[in-house]
Amino acid sequence: MSYKIYSSKDFPAYLPKLNALFEDLFSGGKGFRSKLIGIVSEPLAVPQPTQNLLAQTIEFIHNASLLHDDLVDRSHLRRGKKTAWLKYTPEYAVLAGDYLLARVMVNLSSFGNIKLVQYTSEMISDLLEGEWLQDSIVGDYFVTLEQLDRIHNLKTASLFKWCLRAPFISIERYDTNLHFILNEMGSILGQLFQRSDDLLDYDIRNHEGKAVLGDLKSGYLNSFGSFISKGMKPAQIEQLVKSAGLEELYLCFSPDDGGGKQIFLQKVAEFDQINVKLIELYSHHLENLDKLLVGEEKKLLENLTPLTELLYWRRRPAT
Amino acid sequence: MPSRYVTIKQDEPDFLNYLWGRNEKNNLRAIPVKTYNLGTAEELITFEIRDISEIEKPGLFVYISSLIKLKSFILILFPLFYVLSKNYLSNTFFDPIGIMLASVSSILLFAGMNIRNDVYDHISGFDRVNLDSNNKPIRLGWISPHRASRWSLILVSVSALLALPAALLHRELVGVVAAAAILFFMGRFSKNNSYKQQHLGEVILILLIGPALASGYQVALGAGIDTEVLGFGALWGFAVFYLIQVNNFSHIMTSSQSGIKNTMTKLGFDLSQKFLILAWIFFIAVWFLFHSQYANPRFAALSTFLLLVFSLPLFMKIANIKSPMGSGLQIVRKVANKTFLLMVSLFLTENFLYLWEVLF
Repeated sequence: MSYKIYSSKDFPAYLPKLNALFEDLFSGGKGFRSKLIGIVSEPLAVPQPTQNLLAQTIEFIHNASLLHDDLVDRSHLRRGKKTAWLKYTPEYAVLAGDYLLARVMVNLSSFGNIKLVQYTSEMISDLLEGEWLQDSIVGDYFVTLEQLDRIHNLKTASLFKWCLRAPFISIERYDTNLHFILNEMGSILGQLFQRSDDLLDYDIRNHEGKAVLGDLKSGYLNSFGSFISKGMKPAQIEQLVKSAGLEELYLCFSPDDGGGKQIFLQKVAEFDQINVKLIELYSHHLENLDKLLVGEEKKLLENLTPLTELLYWRRRPAT
Repeated sequence: MPSRYVTIKQDEPDFLNYLWGRNEKNNLRAIPVKTYNLGTAEELITFEIRDISEIEKPGLFVYISSLIKLKSFILILFPLFYVLSKNYLSNTFFDPIGIMLASVSSILLFAGMNIRNDVYDHISGFDRVNLDSNNKPIRLGWISPHRASRWSLILVSVSALLALPAALLHRELVGVVAAAAILFFMGRFSKNNSYKQQHLGEVILILLIGPALASGYQVALGAGIDTEVLGFGALWGFAVFYLIQVNNFSHIMTSSQSGIKNTMTKLGFDLSQKFLILAWIFFIAVWFLFHSQYANPRFAALSTFLLLVFSLPLFMKIANIKSPMGSGLQIVRKVANKTFLLMVSLFLTENFLYLWEVLF
């Protein structure tokens, strides 16, 4: 399934650079969140125009957060291109992000489902809270995995939760138990996605060839970083933070040739083990979800089951 | 073996059985892994069902010391030492058996109440949402809340039995215990009944751990109540209250999100920082007044100066903390505990100096 997310017709042509900025922003993204909307909406027979609206909503919010995030983090590259605040101006980047969020509210309120508007607004405020908190811990190399999880739950997982719940809300399915389960599944998917993304920074399952140790170099100890540094002495953490590359990082664990890498890989296995438990918890929620779906809706389970493989292990599920 | 989970809602009949660990059939224990909608009618908990034999337990000493919170025993042992040395110096130490019984009784009561507190925090959800690195036997599945509660009851009962002879010997003690019991039940039965989660509870806690404890000891050794012991109790109660506030500050975000109301969540992050700095300055001022009144004036000035110096790292850490989520919160907690211990060591040094003068 493919949704047309951005159209220049939706935005005023008389505003200088606005459409050029959006052209840049929306090209090159994987559109994973809008695909997620699709795989949830199809089994529920959500009408196509509603699906389009939901897909556009989530992508607008996601991209607005990227515009703001890149400025906050002073990132230079996004999807291999110069970031908006650098290419245009910081002012335009902020305003363009605000414009997308405003557009979301206009579109959703026209749709007329007040619960959807309310939930979307809550999600946006969670996202901002997560951003705010993440910014407050930059340079904190003693932050714990539990603390980062809470931030990621606000920042990353809130979008995943929305993708699972919004299609149900759009067809006026408000059952509390159902939404609780979807919320938890979204939370787990967001956490797995984030943790897997954080592993890329340490060149684990880095099939996309993402730059290594980027988070660490920008003063941010991500979830895997906080996991491996747990129990380390301050001097070891300092060495870890200053590592220019992975070979140097292995030496934080042991000065022996090869010994450090072995310990590092052991840590990866332990981290994976924690996430296997999270995947088991996801399966538990899937079983409970099964009891609340009827008829064709049960196809949703087939769609949701392989997501952990894709998001955490970064491999296509076996068919 | 893959993990097994159960998610159960508050209105389901088995909810309390799972929460209290009353249904440990086939050697299985339900350990909460996630709590949702805490404190509402929609509360839900996901439990991981684990084989008891597979739960990693520490050695007996770590197990017991974690269960009774041995580290916090200074909170009742130091007032005991203070009251003993004060009355030894003023020759008002009349009843060694009474004080011995009262001491053992209060230690057992404290251990029992610490376990009860953990059980309460587990049932109310405080510990289920405010995860920290401390060894919490119930949260880690070492013991079920049901069993822990039973141990707490046993300890409190033995404590009451031991206190009985002392109460019969010193009728004043009945008054102190009755006043403490009234305060205790006021705290317990008020809305949202935890001493850490409400303003009235915080005041009650200061009174119980401070004036009530110190005057209770003094009455038990036959010396009655005087203004010095009440003053010491107030000072001590405030210091303990301060530690609780720091602990609540370290959980400010998770507590706020879960709807837990205490002074810190009410003030918010920025005002709490100011409150914690001002509260400790207030404590130092009261310390000076207390020592000016009841101690050597030179020691009053010197100890206040030293306490101020010892407190500088605490002020700096609190003022510099940037996030309600990062490692700074744990550091503030550690530094506050260290400052508290330094304050206790000043008190100890003072008392030892007085004892030294009298004995040698």
